[in-house]
Amino acid sequence: MDFEFTVNGVRRLISLERKDDRLTIRHGGIALEAEFRVISANAVSVLSGGRSRLLIIARDKDKRHVWLEGRTYIIHSGAEEERLADKGDDRTQKGKSVVTAPMPGKVVKVNVAEKEPVRKNQTLAIVEAMKMENEIKSPLEGFVKKVYVSAGDLVDSEKPLLELEPKS
Amino acid sequence: MFKKILIANRGEIACRIIRACREMGIVSLAVYSEADRASLHVQMADEAALIGAPAAADSYLNMDRIIETAHAFGAEAIHPGYGFLAENPEFARRLEKEGIVFIGPNSRALELVGDKIRARQTMEKAGIPIIPGMKHVARSIDEYIAAARKIGYPVMIKASAGGGGKGMRIVCAEEDLRPALEAGSREARAAFGDESIYLEKCIEDPRHVEFQVLADNHGQIVHLFERECSIQRRHQKIVEETPSQALTPELRRKMGETAKKVVAVSGYNNAGTVEFLLDRNKDFYFLEVNARLQVEHPVTELTTGVDLVRQQIRIAAGEKLTLKQDALTQRGHAIECRIYAEDPANNFLPSSGKILYFQEPRGPGVRHDGGIYSGCEVPIYYDPILAKLIVWAETRDSACARMAAALNDYVILGIKTTIPFLKDVICHPKFREGATTTGFIKNHFENWQEEEGTPEGLSLALAVAALDELAPSPKGNKTAGPKTEVYSPWLTLGQWRIGEKP
Repeated sequence: MDFEFTVNGVRRLISLERKDDRLTIRHGGIALEAEFRVISANAVSVLSGGRSRLLIIARDKDKRHVWLEGRTYIIHSGAEEERLADKGDDRTQKGKSVVTAPMPGKVVKVNVAEKEPVRKNQTLAIVEAMKMENEIKSPLEGFVKKVYVSAGDLVDSEKPLLELEPKS
Repeated sequence: MFKKILIANRGEIACRIIRACREMGIVSLAVYSEADRASLHVQMADEAALIGAPAAADSYLNMDRIIETAHAFGAEAIHPGYGFLAENPEFARRLEKEGIVFIGPNSRALELVGDKIRARQTMEKAGIPIIPGMKHVARSIDEYIAAARKIGYPVMIKASAGGGGKGMRIVCAEEDLRPALEAGSREARAAFGDESIYLEKCIEDPRHVEFQVLADNHGQIVHLFERECSIQRRHQKIVEETPSQALTPELRRKMGETAKKVVAVSGYNNAGTVEFLLDRNKDFYFLEVNARLQVEHPVTELTTGVDLVRQQIRIAAGEKLTLKQDALTQRGHAIECRIYAEDPANNFLPSSGKILYFQEPRGPGVRHDGGIYSGCEVPIYYDPILAKLIVWAETRDSACARMAAALNDYVILGIKTTIPFLKDVICHPKFREGATTTGFIKNHFENWQEEEGTPEGLSLALAVAALDELAPSPKGNKTAGPKTEVYSPWLTLGQWRIGEKP
């Protein structure tokens, strides 16, 4: 059976073949055989070539967080393009530049107004979370097309703050 | 002894204090903001009271509301933890007037040690070594320029009301002084409501060594040795240990006696920490007094066997110290790592949200002081500290190995944490050598990224994700996300109405 995931923006194709407790995993030209045992809704024990490993998994909508030996893999179902399209994200469209919040927080200040010209790296807004202020810098030289938020607003991660138009 | 204590804090430190209360047979009263109804400290406490909106100013900093709550519930004492109202002399003064015991120092001592310039003057008069520099706030830029010339560059700008690195700046040349003074004073005003700044000699690449002190209300003072907290990021400690690799028994004795003197001349009581900078020549300078229970107090507890929170409560209740300086010893080695909700690979951006899965490391010599659980929300309103991982072992080498293994076993899924960064810090050869100075992170960990995993690890992780996609989720609802992970009787019951026939 074939599966498609995205990890760190890279598309990953994997195929699994099952025979009782044993799985053959084909990924990136390598085949790996291992015995899988589901311990609980969050834990899977894997034995391969005598090596014992425990993987921990948690789900968050279309995202799976998988932990193995101190490392966390964040695995999205499907391909990245689909994921962005599903969320109504149009950042990939040409001629637009939407500046988004890097993390959930509170807008402390919006430093620019619509139609105002901006320099690259100019501070556009300040978003605060956990007592730390984070300056949102302009990724380009141009002008402000639209401001979506105002001081005091609570924003989620990746929520659009403003839209810029690059200097032509 | 008190019958009931109000804990004016949240997170891991509130949980730590609740545990001490429980062991001492004292009723614990938690207070919480609207964002913290489901937080661990509310679950753990014997009693809990809502004190306001999520923003700290409306809840955990709201003195009126906290005092009202203490009266309404009949709490005789308030433990402030660290942060929030812990070092606020006005709060301590108000409690003194209200007849509620503040579990911390008296308000006069708090006021003195909170004013860095006054504290410097007092210490110098008592013959305690201070960092060369100004003992007054200057009235003009010219006065600062003259002072900086006299001290010699590089100089450090500090806020008089200071703490936590706010307003601090290093200036290497005169032309940079004016803008740095302006920025430092602006930052100080924003952080403390007081723009007073002063200049000190900048001690280059020092170690940060602090001494834990306990003073009862009857004039007895003991120190419980040092903690080395040189591993800092933006002047915030992230790894602490004891004993320090830099101290000889003679230097330790001398610094310990100095710390006791600092406490004595300040008229200080209860638990406190005297911070020193130790330079390359092993000369030490008084830095400041932290007038609270420190985040890093567990390393002292593990090596001395003294429960510091219990001591604080006993001292506040008026009991005499039964600890004797000569009987106190350090045994083995302890290290603490602070686990923050921050993304270490992305400029330590705060990372709030839901913790989908949490499993702390366990084993001999491993202690975990936390305020989180599987399914809890990490709110955006407060300090990003989630938990502290503390290990103890016979030697420093074994403690490092134990810490590295424990970090490797530590699972927090759903938000980013500093765990992978800390693992690399603990495993760094310079850390293993004990070559720890305050420049350590800047020198060795600028632009840190997690090392790539193995292809096999990725394949296994993908396979588990695939299996999970196939697995029938509970109630056949695949899209409901984390909700399906936890059985909730409320969700099931939600389909009924009270009084309706089943």
